[in-house]
Amino acid sequence: MLSEIFVEPFVDMVSAPDFLMQVLWEGLVSGILYALIALGFVLIYRSSRIFNFAQGIMVVFAALTLVGLHEAGVPAWVSVALTLGVMFVLAFVVERVVLRPLVGQPDIILFMATIGITLFLIGFGEIIFGGENKVMITEQLGIPTDSVVFEPFGGLLILEQKDIAAAAIAALLVIGLLLFLNKTRMGRAIRALGDDPQAAMSVGISLQTIWVLVWFIAGIIALVTGIAWGARAGVSFALEVIAYKALPVLMLGGLESISGAIVGGLMIGMLEKLFEIYWGQPLLGGNTETWFAFMLALVVLLFRPQGLFGERIIERV
Amino acid sequence: MNVHVQEDLSQHTSRADDGIAKGADLLKVENISLSFGGVKAITDISFDIKKGEIRAIIGPNGAGKTSMLNVINGFYFPQQGTITFRGEERRRARASETARDGIARTFQNIALFKGMSTLDNIMTGRITLQKRNLLWHALWKGPAEREEIEHREAVERIIDFLEIEHIRKTPVGRLPYGLQKRVELGRALAAEPALLLLDEPMAGMNLEEKADMSRFILDVNQQYGTTIALIEHDMGVVMDLSDRVVVLDYGKKIGDGTPDEVRNNPDVIDAYLGVPH
Repeated sequence: MLSEIFVEPFVDMVSAPDFLMQVLWEGLVSGILYALIALGFVLIYRSSRIFNFAQGIMVVFAALTLVGLHEAGVPAWVSVALTLGVMFVLAFVVERVVLRPLVGQPDIILFMATIGITLFLIGFGEIIFGGENKVMITEQLGIPTDSVVFEPFGGLLILEQKDIAAAAIAALLVIGLLLFLNKTRMGRAIRALGDDPQAAMSVGISLQTIWVLVWFIAGIIALVTGIAWGARAGVSFALEVIAYKALPVLMLGGLESISGAIVGGLMIGMLEKLFEIYWGQPLLGGNTETWFAFMLALVVLLFRPQGLFGERIIERV
Repeated sequence: MNVHVQEDLSQHTSRADDGIAKGADLLKVENISLSFGGVKAITDISFDIKKGEIRAIIGPNGAGKTSMLNVINGFYFPQQGTITFRGEERRRARASETARDGIARTFQNIALFKGMSTLDNIMTGRITLQKRNLLWHALWKGPAEREEIEHREAVERIIDFLEIEHIRKTPVGRLPYGLQKRVELGRALAAEPALLLLDEPMAGMNLEEKADMSRFILDVNQQYGTTIALIEHDMGVVMDLSDRVVVLDYGKKIGDGTPDEVRNNPDVIDAYLGVPH
């Protein structure tokens, strides 16, 4: 028994390195998507202390809008532009109708409000786009669907081109976002508002403008996530469930940290895949991916309550 | 091209020159009353701030001084009374809007962006001086970059002025209290305000830091002609710095005048020495 847990999995890994690489790659790709969703959470949390429960449904809503528009005969790239427009309108309406009247309320009220947004978007999405599954317009967007084959160590490693594309787009998005937050005036305004809302307003930063902007950026992230995930698994409301995977990512990475969200996402993606293949399937009958991330987060929280990268909370009395 | 940029810059820096003559009313508050539920914070207070002066607001704890500043910069909306800034009466202007109109401030309990460097903190002070609106900048960075450089230069001048070159890149959360106060002043100055509100700029400082801060306040007032309203508890400092003093007690105005007049006002003496009401 001990050998099955502590020895054999590692022997398997070393004896078939090409398979190990395949497993890690698969894990990395899901990890990228977890990280993207977590990024949406972090952005909104940092600028407004709101835990945005609706990030998952925004992914679904963005993907459905994109596919729906294309089905209605709009060319693919025009659909992308229009979907971005829809996400902007959504951000604007959320700020006007939901957030603005609740300014100054306790965080938990705003959190509840985002659950309200989630339920609204589920219902609204089903009325407009129907409840059935849809296929992401991968090829129409020019995303390659072949696969690339490598032969490391004389073995076989197959990488889907759309996964590579997803990884590349996600990397660009993250780099762009980091540059935006750290190098531009707008980015400074967003960070300032998260640090000290009162001081931010006193230098002329408008709460309302920034909120619309961060929700719009979260919408852009949602669209990218929706395209990438939709290309692998189709577009349906079940996609929303993957958003819950972002929760353990946030617990690991901390709610405040962008790099935490990325590293946490990739880590969880890869670790859960490794665990599933080398421990879960032989020992536990498989399907461990549904709970592994949460267990991992729980263990980490026992030792580091602020997460792996979260800012240490020091209360001055 | 360069000439054009120069013009833009002079346009920025001219915000304090608004055609109001030195010594004329810059801000006027009339019959302001503010209450929270049943608690009256301010009752029927009127006073003015004249362009170019240093105006002190003093009074015992709980007198309504900070509430008054919060009314002036738009954090609170008074239930009664009017505020006239630069000859225009203002109705329910939010803090981000008054900042745009040229009112900058510091806070009693330092409100800096703790995760950012000194430089970035002071840069945020210039947000209102940018010509294009925030969303526009988010969408197209090109022209924004040129402006960024101009603003960076202005911020470096402020850093030199406040003698904080050595902490330019330090996250402000790590700085000692006295320096944080200085960075906060820098952020307010970066906005090139027409009216600068300072809420206890010297609270918790030692003698040497107080002397430095006094010097900065006087220099700002004299070199840039910035009008300053400040709340301060150190009477020595108040009497030395300010041109005129308004005294509040229990939310009411009990004195107004030059430091000498106020010092000899029997009501003020009573308020500070605690005579039974």
